[in-house]
Amino acid sequence: MVVDAGMIAIGAGIAVGLAGIGAGMGEQAIGAAAVGAMAEDEKFFGKGLLMTVIPESIAIFGLVVALILLFVFNA
Amino acid sequence: MLKPTKMTRVVIAGTKDLMEPVISTFHNLNILHITDFLQENETFKIGKPLKPASKMSEYLLSLRTISNQLAIGKGSESSLKSRDLRSVMDEKISTLQKEVSSRFDEMRNLEFKIKEKEDIVSSIKPFFGLPLSLESYSGYGSVKVYTGFIDTDLELQLSKITNNYELFTGEHEKRKIFALFVPIAFADEVHKVLQNERSYSELKVPLLEGNPPVVLDGLTKEISALNQKYAQIRAELDNIKKEYSEFIIAADEYLSIETQKAEAPLKFAESPNAFIIDGWVPSLKYDEMEKELQKNTGGLIHLEKIEEDIKEEDIPIELENPSTAKPFELLINTFATPKYREIDPSSIIFITFPLFYAIMLGDVGYGIIVAALAYVIKKKFKAGELNSLALILFLSAILSIILGFIYGEFFGFPIFNVVVKGELEHGFLGAGPVIAGINLPVHRFGEVQMLLLLTLIIGIIHILLGLVIGFRNHLIEHGLKHAIFAKGSWMMILIGGVMVIAKLMPAVMSKLPVPTSDPVFAIGGGLAILGLILLIAGEGFISILEIPTLLSNVLSYSRILAIGLSSAGIALAVNTLSMNLFIRPGGVYMGKGVVLALIGVVILFIGHLINLLLGILGPGLHSLRLQYVEFFTKFYEGGGKKYVPFGYKRKYTEE
Repeated sequence: MVVDAGMIAIGAGIAVGLAGIGAGMGEQAIGAAAVGAMAEDEKFFGKGLLMTVIPESIAIFGLVVALILLFVFNA
Repeated sequence: MLKPTKMTRVVIAGTKDLMEPVISTFHNLNILHITDFLQENETFKIGKPLKPASKMSEYLLSLRTISNQLAIGKGSESSLKSRDLRSVMDEKISTLQKEVSSRFDEMRNLEFKIKEKEDIVSSIKPFFGLPLSLESYSGYGSVKVYTGFIDTDLELQLSKITNNYELFTGEHEKRKIFALFVPIAFADEVHKVLQNERSYSELKVPLLEGNPPVVLDGLTKEISALNQKYAQIRAELDNIKKEYSEFIIAADEYLSIETQKAEAPLKFAESPNAFIIDGWVPSLKYDEMEKELQKNTGGLIHLEKIEEDIKEEDIPIELENPSTAKPFELLINTFATPKYREIDPSSIIFITFPLFYAIMLGDVGYGIIVAALAYVIKKKFKAGELNSLALILFLSAILSIILGFIYGEFFGFPIFNVVVKGELEHGFLGAGPVIAGINLPVHRFGEVQMLLLLTLIIGIIHILLGLVIGFRNHLIEHGLKHAIFAKGSWMMILIGGVMVIAKLMPAVMSKLPVPTSDPVFAIGGGLAILGLILLIAGEGFISILEIPTLLSNVLSYSRILAIGLSSAGIALAVNTLSMNLFIRPGGVYMGKGVVLALIGVVILFIGHLINLLLGILGPGLHSLRLQYVEFFTKFYEGGGKKYVPFGYKRKYTEE
């Protein structure tokens, strides 16, 4: 498969960037709710933090796609 | 390990005169988890507190008030005898009450007075700018007085109303101040003029007599006298605090214990002449408890183990783990307390949490700093959550150092020689050794494919382990059939799916036909389909929707690599920036002055500091998340009741 290396790099960038935006949109609502819960009861800190990082998976999927693009297809 | 402590339900019955020694015995043993008696009937009612309860709570209340007023915190450990405390309690508390509360009230009173005087001082100051004494601003029958700040010239507007007025102007802190005296007949009009003036702000004249500087002088003297008195009382209170703080802390503990004991019967069932306690003890401690109880009651108490008719959800949960894995119970308890027959995964997390953390952080330099930090926290907090957290962090950091050695990274600098993009980079330990057939270093940027595969394999094993534990939990709770439907099916789908993908991916990548004849592919496919059928049979058709979750669970483990790469990447970027631009002899800005070289050092320092903070938070959270979200969801239900034994750990007193 002959693909321009620059195109692959752009693709990887888009994968990470869009995935990051998606994760951020997910996290904003959870983060706000978590802070609200913490204001009621500080014991929610642990659980809140955990809930907040759950959408981070999406960003990581983006990163995985980027890594595969860069290191597997570029090789 | 893996299972909560075995508990035995025990019912204790005795005559009422034995109640006190029984309560004392249990309180000292600190092992009985008492089940509250709730269903009253004709014979048995909920017990009443022992006699001294109200007296004790009264003492405790006054003592805590005093302790608050004196601002007494936690003391160092001491060992006052309970007996001695009891004999002086009454006298000491009443003295303290007399000495402290009157002084405390006076102090509050003084604070109030000082504040009041200070307010007057600040309200007098503006009138320094006007040549009038304070009494001349008030007390008129036919003249209205206006005082305040204003920026514009009033005279022009006043002349339109009347010429019969007197205006004084001056300055205070660079703002114009004025005092205007007008006959009452014009007061309304003048008032309107002032109201329309935007820069006007009214000033109230304090009701005092004399020239402002003289009055101020007097007030300042009064305030300093009050302050002196305040300091004196403060010192007296400090003396009392020094003298009594040991007593107060010890008495607080003693009274808390006594109140707890006196209120214990509220959990008992009581008839006019007898009482019954229903509770749980760790099975291993049953004999010890029985012996102690019979000794203290002259063998007159009746104990009985109850083995039938036990509801699992009533059994209190005490996690039981080797001391090294004990801190990891914190992570379990943050999530949920396990049920009695569930696996307690603390000892598994003891291995997997630090491992994931280390693979992510993997840097000798960062590892050493985190380990040192954890050590300091552990020394500072001898017990509690922070101590557990520090121990967890310490273990993880030690493992990170080992992984850092394998990756050959020290603050992002290479430890061993490594080839990056065809160029040799020199490490400061020269060529890497070969350990167990692996050529060190395993460079993270060079081996992305291999490491990605490795993290996915770790994920598959971890999830499979979760499913195996889930299988075991279901087997015990619901039987074999249910376990196979609920967990066995998933195991088959996972293993079969992995076999299929392992064969399918290389074929697709190199555009070969699907390897249907390959036995691994065929068996894997068969296994996955069988699993799918079992799943649908057991959980219904809708459960197919869960299959992508399994895929995303496995892929989620790639974060182990991703977080590691980003951390290593930041370190590399910081190093390249500071070294190649500023610090190395051949650097771009080298030789252009000391300041530029120092900028390089600052970049290096701040960059690594930020990366280190991210390096504690990121791997910690993500490693935990893999446990909670990917691992626990395969088997963990939780919802157990925590074991809270009736008793107290004495810190400041002795029996």
